[in-house]
Amino acid sequence: MENLVEIKKLSKNYFNKKALDNLDLTIEEGKVLGILGPNGSGKTTLIKILTGLLRQSKGEVLIDGHKVGVYTKSIVSYLPDRNFLYNWMTIEDAFKFYSDFYSDFDLKRGEELLDFMKLGKDMKITSLSKGMTEKLNLTLVLSRKAKLYILDEPIAGVDPVARDQILDAIIKNYDSNSSMIITTHLVRDMENLFDDVAFLKDGEVILKGNAEELREEKGKSIDEIYKEIFSE
Amino acid sequence: MGKYMKYEIKGTYKVILGILAIVLIATTVLYNYTAKNESSLIIALASLLIFGTFLSAFLYIVGSFRKELYEDRGYLTFTLPLTGNQILGAKLIVAFMWFLILGAITVSYNIFMMAKTSGETINFKELLSLINSSEIISFAIMILISGISTLILIYFSMALSRVTLRNRKIGGMWFIIFLILSAFIAWIQMKIVTISPYYINLKDWSIVNSNISALFQIEIDNASLMFSTEDYFYINIAGFITNIITGIILFLGTGHIIEKKIDL
Amino acid sequence: MEFNDNLPIYLQIINYLKRRITSGEISGGDKLPSVRELSSKLKVNPNTVQRAYQELEREDLVFTKRGMGTFVTEDDDVIMKLKKDTAKEVISNFIAEIKGLDFDDDEIIEIILNEIKKED
Repeated sequence: MENLVEIKKLSKNYFNKKALDNLDLTIEEGKVLGILGPNGSGKTTLIKILTGLLRQSKGEVLIDGHKVGVYTKSIVSYLPDRNFLYNWMTIEDAFKFYSDFYSDFDLKRGEELLDFMKLGKDMKITSLSKGMTEKLNLTLVLSRKAKLYILDEPIAGVDPVARDQILDAIIKNYDSNSSMIITTHLVRDMENLFDDVAFLKDGEVILKGNAEELREEKGKSIDEIYKEIFSE
Repeated sequence: MGKYMKYEIKGTYKVILGILAIVLIATTVLYNYTAKNESSLIIALASLLIFGTFLSAFLYIVGSFRKELYEDRGYLTFTLPLTGNQILGAKLIVAFMWFLILGAITVSYNIFMMAKTSGETINFKELLSLINSSEIISFAIMILISGISTLILIYFSMALSRVTLRNRKIGGMWFIIFLILSAFIAWIQMKIVTISPYYINLKDWSIVNSNISALFQIEIDNASLMFSTEDYFYINIAGFITNIITGIILFLGTGHIIEKKIDL
Repeated sequence: MEFNDNLPIYLQIINYLKRRITSGEISGGDKLPSVRELSSKLKVNPNTVQRAYQELEREDLVFTKRGMGTFVTEDDDVIMKLKKDTAKEVISNFIAEIKGLDFDDDEIIEIILNEIKKED
């Protein structure tokens, strides 16, 4: 299968601190990759480089054969770990914004998802709770028919009901023609979504592989492997 | 880019209209409650109001660019499939448009109020010929161009301070960069004006050399970009061109930084 | 369905479906839920369900009709074989445990017969 994302010898330094160190990673077309690691392991730094919000210090990143730029931004659908919509917007405005800028935005899918998340179009962005914001952001991101979805901590800090809705939405709208990268430290809740996993520690990939093979080989769940790696 | 302009307008119009509403109310109060015989006081206060309008709009626009660089909204703006130049261009055009609208409305409202309180009818023909005169138009264009190039310089300074200082949120750093760059650009401009002292007369488009011309009734000590005599308005050609080129370079530089260098 | 930690998810899905076939909950010729439906119900990656279906197809327990979905085999022999295989597995587990209680073969058979009578 083709690799949609190729990351070669990627490093990122902040002054003297190494955030990413000589990282190699590939993502196949049609696969869901879980990037697992505690806060500060370099997950968000990696994601920001893929989305063009950060520049690498060394190494190369290719998405669909292109360097990060206007083209890759048009095929990557990105869910940041924060409320990134403009404060003046209503949900309706946010929908229009997405369909104006992303030609792959599917309005019908968006409206179905919005319904599923029990959100109304006339709501103001600033009036939403943390869980609602997360659900809205995910609705927008999943309503694009993108080649690559990048979800940064999609269920962190939301209540269990919203968490289930979010997981459901991800599974229902995941399309096997596209790839997905999900970062999380809540491994137990999400591990069944992953085809492949990569464990990130201090900016390095210390273990990666097919999730099922790792389960079989180690006789453990991904969550248990995670705890084993990061408990020391 | 047109689409981005649309959202830039949607995001800023409420504050701009708010500023406009406040200044129109203040102008109305000013003309109605200040003693009629104190016309010089009225003119001074009215000018102050117009200046205040521009300053608050300017600060608001500058502040909203800063938010893109330092707050979460940048995650949306800078992951859009747009080039840095498109984002920056849209922001500048919208800012330009607001200044134009604010200027046109406040000035014409002042003229209207002046006529109304003094009891005279407005002589539109006279007014129109005044506006139509080439020096007024040229002067307005010059003001707008220097306003826009100041804005570009501020954007450039902010983007540069964001890139060099990364995540450290030192509030005034961009302002220091801005002052240094302003001084540097002014110095270059002065050099160029000295080297090429040719001025264009905006009334009859004649070109004069300030070093040899006896036309000038006032003494020009320092090499200035523009000056006016009682009848004429002069702009230094080389200086003006430098101004525009500097603006373009800073524009492209800022576009490059926000597309290729920004670290959020 | 609760997942067990130390087995690959696709194997657990296979076992889950096999149990439902052997118990008669799903009969021969029945349509299985679509990959998307099942993945959404079990909250697992669709690729994992897809893999489970592929394995079942390799074992001839299910077959795919293009554009129609995945169906349980109509061949009773295959289902019977699955039942027998499952039975063998259950019995061998049982025997291993009961042998640990130190009964001889006749005693074991007697206990089983008594228990089956009680059930009836």
